[in-house]
Amino acid sequence: MKLVPAALAILLAGSLTALAHDVPTEVAKSPPPGAFKAVSSLVKLPDFLPGMGQLFVDPASLPGGPFLAYDHDGALVSTIYMLPVKDLNPDKRFEDLAAPGGNVDHVDVYYNAGHPGVEEPHVHVVLWHVAAADEAKVAQ
Amino acid sequence: MILTRRRVLEAGGGIFAAFLAELAAAAGEPVEIAMKGKADGSHVWFDPIGLHVKPGQTVQWANRDRGNSHTATSYHPEIFERVRRIPAKAKPWNSDYLLPDETFSFRFDEEGVYDYYCVPHEHAGMVGRIVVGNPSGTEVAAEATGLTPLPTPALNGFPPVEEIVAKGIVRRE
Repeated sequence: MKLVPAALAILLAGSLTALAHDVPTEVAKSPPPGAFKAVSSLVKLPDFLPGMGQLFVDPASLPGGPFLAYDHDGALVSTIYMLPVKDLNPDKRFEDLAAPGGNVDHVDVYYNAGHPGVEEPHVHVVLWHVAAADEAKVAQ
Repeated sequence: MILTRRRVLEAGGGIFAAFLAELAAAAGEPVEIAMKGKADGSHVWFDPIGLHVKPGQTVQWANRDRGNSHTATSYHPEIFERVRRIPAKAKPWNSDYLLPDETFSFRFDEEGVYDYYCVPHEHAGMVGRIVVGNPSGTEVAAEATGLTPLPTPALNGFPPVEEIVAKGIVRRE
């Protein structure tokens, strides 16, 4: 019976499509609403950061974030948290950080020496909402 | 030690850049100090980190880091209440944030040792030292009370004055 595999394929394709694009509508496109501001409007940084994209953040959430990162077409690619190295100690916790970006495909964690806005060595925790191959959309 | 072709080319490029900078310094022309960083922001530095110039020479800082902003800021009580690490008679300077490809220039008239830093990256050790002329020794400021001291990564970042004078230019390893 060929109908069953065909129906399954359609169902799976529909589910995968839904997973791949399951980004909450309000943050799917830049600029995100509410208290989010372009980072480049808050501090002197390039508007588009190679490797990350165009960043938005609610200033009240600094330094941790979340920062929402968008590609050149204004589509959400990642949610980034910036955690100062000195705050990763027994006396400090980062709890209940907002995660408005929807499904996560994979996660990167790496050290950053600092930049305006988070002017101390910190760790970037990047929740990618796109496949690893699509990180290229914000590479340059 | 095995040197790859890329390593040889990089080393050759570094030597050539140092040679050009030394020529500029010898001719009294502005010398560029590049502000650099890795693409992921994990490392940032001034290139060169140590520079020997003549009195009256101009130094230009240029942000060559596409993904970050940098400053060239002298250690001085008048700027962010920092301990003075430039000659007592010298004017302090602060470039403010430079976006990629922006530049800032400053003329060094007083002989002596000048230490400076990048405001957002001082804690990552992004500092530099310029030696003007042939000072007899490193001047240490007395008025340190109430001023913000240097973090350890910055203190460990300065090349020795003797090395800068001997080589003319000191680059990051």
